[in-house]
Amino acid sequence: MSQFIIHNKGEARKLLLLAILAGRIMLRNGAETYRVEDTIERIIKSRKNIKYADAFVTPTGIFASLEYEEEVLTYLIRIKAIRINLNKINLVNDFSREFVSTNMSIDEGIKKLRMIDNTETYSPLFKSLFGALSCGFLSILFGGSMLDFISSIFVGFFVVLVVNRINRYKLTFFINNFIGAIIATFLSILITVIGIADNMNTVIIASIMPLVPGVAITNAMRDTISGDFVSGLSRAMEAIFSALSIAFGVGLVLNIYLGG
Amino acid sequence: MVEIIKQFLFSFMSTIGFSVLFNIPKELIAKTGFVGGIGWIIFYITGQYLNNEIISTFFAALTVGIFGELFARYFKKPATVFIIPGIIPLVPGAGMYYTMLTLSQKDFYAAATKGTETFFIAAAISTGLIISTTLSKSIRRVKNK
Repeated sequence: MSQFIIHNKGEARKLLLLAILAGRIMLRNGAETYRVEDTIERIIKSRKNIKYADAFVTPTGIFASLEYEEEVLTYLIRIKAIRINLNKINLVNDFSREFVSTNMSIDEGIKKLRMIDNTETYSPLFKSLFGALSCGFLSILFGGSMLDFISSIFVGFFVVLVVNRINRYKLTFFINNFIGAIIATFLSILITVIGIADNMNTVIIASIMPLVPGVAITNAMRDTISGDFVSGLSRAMEAIFSALSIAFGVGLVLNIYLGG
Repeated sequence: MVEIIKQFLFSFMSTIGFSVLFNIPKELIAKTGFVGGIGWIIFYITGQYLNNEIISTFFAALTVGIFGELFARYFKKPATVFIIPGIIPLVPGAGMYYTMLTLSQKDFYAAATKGTETFFIAAAISTGLIISTTLSKSIRRVKNK
């Protein structure tokens, strides 16, 4: 492979920019750090006359550098909010395969990446509906009745909808989960008091499931075993604090309800 | 047997719901649902025999990991696409909730018991994923030689 070459320094800089852009899209949408490092290096090394390329990725930032004609170029970008969009990871993965194996021009590559970054897979309403549905089925898995199923769908729908809406204001994940848990618990108690749901506990458990940090737990482990201990630790911290914020939210409402 | 099919169907559906939440591409949704369903079935069956939630979570996470890695290689997609929605039904949301509930009822003994159990279930998920990922990596390394 790699008979494709870089012609001048401007192109080398653009190549680095493209690689970092690809890495940023992956990292911001919930990819593991080793996959991001791997992708950046592979994209840069696919052009033949780059002698050296390396990337250091943590969940909060990307550093990458390459050497072109005795000169080292380095870029560093900071990553802030992480939202989960596995489709974008998948698209960038396909893109990097294509970029590495064809003589795609760098400008075209950057254009394609920007398009990937702007794709929206499902609409918020569609997502809320499916999130609600999964809450309903989880309530049956956790031993709920038919009435619990219906009330979990109702509560889950609002939880997902509200958390999606709050996401726009770019608050931290802690506040998002906290508010989500409060809404889930409050609505579940309400629906039980009205007399629709049979079992309050099942409804609460099922409707906080969209908030639980499954991605952070998975990625923390996958990062740690790949030797990225810094990333593993910071992701584990994220998982622990997400769990804590959910627990605080649930505990707050429960305390008021049980105490009052 | 009917119960197992029922459980599979329900976990399949809930995993599909989460796949949409995590924006998984349309053509992979059914496959992710399958991974999640298989994981839950393993959890259910081992739970019937062993009566220990921690061990059965471990086996379920192991299964999800193995199927995720297999699907990833077969369909040429990142393994996380299959694994992240697949483990969601196993995540100890119930344990977290009961820990909080017992805490707010000031039953600290029960809270400590539940909390420890929750922590170990999370650890079991991680261990299952670690083992399956490491296995797949070492198999790849041996094959590449």
